Amino acid sequence: MVAGADVIVVGAGVVGAAVAEALSRTGRSVHVVEQGLPGGAVSGASLACIGTHMNDEEELPFLKWCCDEWAAFDAHTPTFEYDRCGQLRFLKQESELNSARHWIDVERNAGLAPELLDPAEVRRIEPLLTGPIHSATWSPNSAVVNPFLAVRMLLETAQAQGVRLTSRAPATKLRLKGDRVIGVETSAGPIDGDHVVIAGGPWTAKLAATAGVDLPIVPRKAQCLATVSQPRSIRTVVGACKAEGGVDAGYTQIQQAMSGQILFNTVLEGGVTAHGSPDAVPEVDRAFIRDSVETLLFLFPSFAEIELLRSWVRYEAVTPDDRFLTGPVGPDGLYIAAGDGGVGFCRSVGMGRIIADQIEGRPSPFRTDLYDPARFERRQAA
Amino acid sequence: MKVFKTDIAIIGGGPAGLSAALAAAKAGARVDIIDAGFLPGGQYWMQDPTGAPPLSDQVSEGRDAIATIRAAGVTIHSGAEVWTVFPDLKIGANGPDGPFEIVPRAIIVASGAHDRVMPFPGWTLPGVMTPGAGQRLAKLGGMSAGDRVVLAGSGPFLLAVAETLAKIGKPPIALIEAKRTNAGILAHMARHPARWREAARLLATARAIPDRRAGWIVTEALGTERVTAVRIAPIATNGVIAHDDAEVIAGIDALLVGWGFRPMIEVTALLRCRHEYDRAQGGWFCATDPKSGRTSVEHVYAAGEVTGIAGSVPARLSGRLAGLAAAADLGFIGSDPAAAQAEAVAKLMPARRFAYGLGRLYAPPESLADLAQDDTVLCRCEEVTKRDVAAALDAGTQAVSGAKMWTRAGMGRCQGRVCGWGIAEIAARITSTTPEAAGFNAPRIPLRPVPLSVVLEATREVEA
Ligand SMILES: Cc1cc2nc3c(=O)[nH]c(=O)nc-3n(C[C@H](O)[C@H](O)[C@H](O)COP(=O)(O)OP(=O)(O)OC[C@H]3O[C@@H](n4cnc5c(N)ncnc54)[C@H](O)[C@@H]3O)c2cc1C
Repeated sequence: MVAGADVIVVGAGVVGAAVAEALSRTGRSVHVVEQGLPGGAVSGASLACIGTHMNDEEELPFLKWCCDEWAAFDAHTPTFEYDRCGQLRFLKQESELNSARHWIDVERNAGLAPELLDPAEVRRIEPLLTGPIHSATWSPNSAVVNPFLAVRMLLETAQAQGVRLTSRAPATKLRLKGDRVIGVETSAGPIDGDHVVIAGGPWTAKLAATAGVDLPIVPRKAQCLATVSQPRSIRTVVGACKAEGGVDAGYTQIQQAMSGQILFNTVLEGGVTAHGSPDAVPEVDRAFIRDSVETLLFLFPSFAEIELLRSWVRYEAVTPDDRFLTGPVGPDGLYIAAGDGGVGFCRSVGMGRIIADQIEGRPSPFRTDLYDPARFERRQAA
Repeated sequence: MKVFKTDIAIIGGGPAGLSAALAAAKAGARVDIIDAGFLPGGQYWMQDPTGAPPLSDQVSEGRDAIATIRAAGVTIHSGAEVWTVFPDLKIGANGPDGPFEIVPRAIIVASGAHDRVMPFPGWTLPGVMTPGAGQRLAKLGGMSAGDRVVLAGSGPFLLAVAETLAKIGKPPIALIEAKRTNAGILAHMARHPARWREAARLLATARAIPDRRAGWIVTEALGTERVTAVRIAPIATNGVIAHDDAEVIAGIDALLVGWGFRPMIEVTALLRCRHEYDRAQGGWFCATDPKSGRTSVEHVYAAGEVTGIAGSVPARLSGRLAGLAAAADLGFIGSDPAAAQAEAVAKLMPARRFAYGLGRLYAPPESLADLAQDDTVLCRCEEVTKRDVAAALDAGTQAVSGAKMWTRAGMGRCQGRVCGWGIAEIAARITSTTPEAAGFNAPRIPLRPVPLSVVLEATREVEA
């Protein structure tokens, strides 16, 4: 028999860990159940850039809050390799300048300090970036963290406040009494809880469906590559300038982990697939490997003889407007925090805050309507 | 980039791969072998590239086998590392002349085995290596790991290594075998008279070693610059190690220590073949139909040690069976395949029984996992200590993969090939589960580190 809790959090990815940590500050008893290992799904596969640059205009104040929250964690518990290294977004041609200038204006208006740099200025920041780029934007406030250690830090901070964690215990079903959720069934037995928060990434919809709740979350394939450890060769997070059309128009992210491994991925137009299931994860595909290596060597030609070490694939959770679904859904006491759209590491601490605020019945320090799980129905009704 | 179209690609050119190649080629299939060695042969039939006269009948036998399969028209790609196999079975490899691709209709995985390594205090000192590595040095040019070698661990392979070392004039000065020769081992040998001659020959080699212990293990390698001594202690049949009765063997310059083998399942795991766990077969192995070597994945076959550690006789037989089946499934039927299959199956079954029996009798004691101390490095690539791993498991993660995520153990250059087995045993001990539950780190593309320039060349033709 597993003891009950005020709140059961399903999922120990970065979102579940952040929810548990935020709730632990309210003094409530919290039990986290994870079907696999903490951080073992999308979160551990993440490049975990914490930043505001070229992200989402409406979310900017929220993103700033999240960045500050991560910095505060680092000041308190500097165990997760937080590194405020800054971010470069390269432009291949002049036609991308409009988009770059637009983002720079937006962010400057929000009190941030991005700039446009010419190739020589770029090389002062990133000396080995010698490829024939047109220019790059520079956002000095972006940081990266070690995704495994960040999840571990959040969980250990929560555990120090009494939060319980059970790994390898899938929640199979929500338990209801009338119109209220009263707990979950797990492989380790039933757990009683007054509230249940599903932070289950791409699996969230499946568990919500056991209470008759239908969520618009679909899995999308995300892939990444890593090289053998190198001496310090890349100092910042290097990405492609955001073009019109979001992820589908192409996407690059390159950085060097504290371990020395260079982590990189490039998804070109048409390379993103929504097929597949998070339960049967395939290998990286050939076109992805080619595009990623080609882009890396376009920017850093001197890396040609560095060895590739590893690759990985995960399914991330995507919603119709690429924003989280965070808040109450369905029966009383049921909440969700999922649908990260591939950019949820930075946002996770904010999602934790929203859930804690809602369960405590207090206002949040930023807009939460953007994440309202009912927003699509509302739009349809209007 | 060169592209080779073929009927059957065989990964690994040891006894299993070579036997598979011969059977398939004789049936009429076009066969390509990819092997990492300078010459084919694998560990058992390893050929000396310096052209020295064969050390043993075993080497001559291998030389003849290689000549036979060459004559049968099999193409051998030596010195080539397979870095990927895509789900469409296309194989990416990197050889002495650069990257090449093999496009087969079927694959036989005959990738062999790794030494089982258990971290213990001092195991990272220069001069400490596995018996398999020590034997390779001797077989590839007659080099010895040292002048005064201690050979330790468990299992009959130690005797084979002792024999190789004796042949190059550097017999070990001490043989430390964890298992006492008990009634079970004698009864097992009694049931398999076909093996008596080999056993007698190996035991004669052992008797020439001055310091022979059974029921002892090496608990620590000592030295500063390199290993100069070992501490050994008695180990009871229930696994309890009597550290109070420890002794030191000093004046040595090499320690070969190992605990048998584990199947090299990277390729079959990458292809998502089904795997099973059995300590007597070396841990995780690729599940196959024993009569055909078919795995759970269509067009993928496995033979030899990757299907469970059993030694060279079953490797040859299972190789022949996989070769016959892979060829027949593609429509290449040689003369009387049913009889050939029946004959090989009839021999394979008792040979495997013999091997798995030995595997059970010489299974490494679980208490080995207690030798590592808090500050003993478990993962050499990322310098992760047992203390780090224990703290991570204590904080709520589990298994080999959890330890990897939270400590980087197994995330470095070797991707856990060296330390994976040891960490599984240690993680199981710490969390009171089994090594099977502790799992293994799934291999991913690339199977071996490979230069980005090679990767780019190999993936560019994707549209073609
Ligand atoms: C290659 C890559 C790069 C990325 N780069 C960035 C970046 O730079 N910046 C950024 O902000 N984001 C980035 N992301 C996205 C970010 O990693 C994800 O948005 C975030 O990790 C999602 O966290 P999550 O907790 O929702 O999901 P997950 O980590 O998938 O967590 C969900 C957890 O719930 C568990 N679970 C599900 N169902 C159940 C159940 N029924 N019972 C028990 N447990 C259950 C799962 O096992 C899993 O552990 C990247 C992602 C990838 C793959």
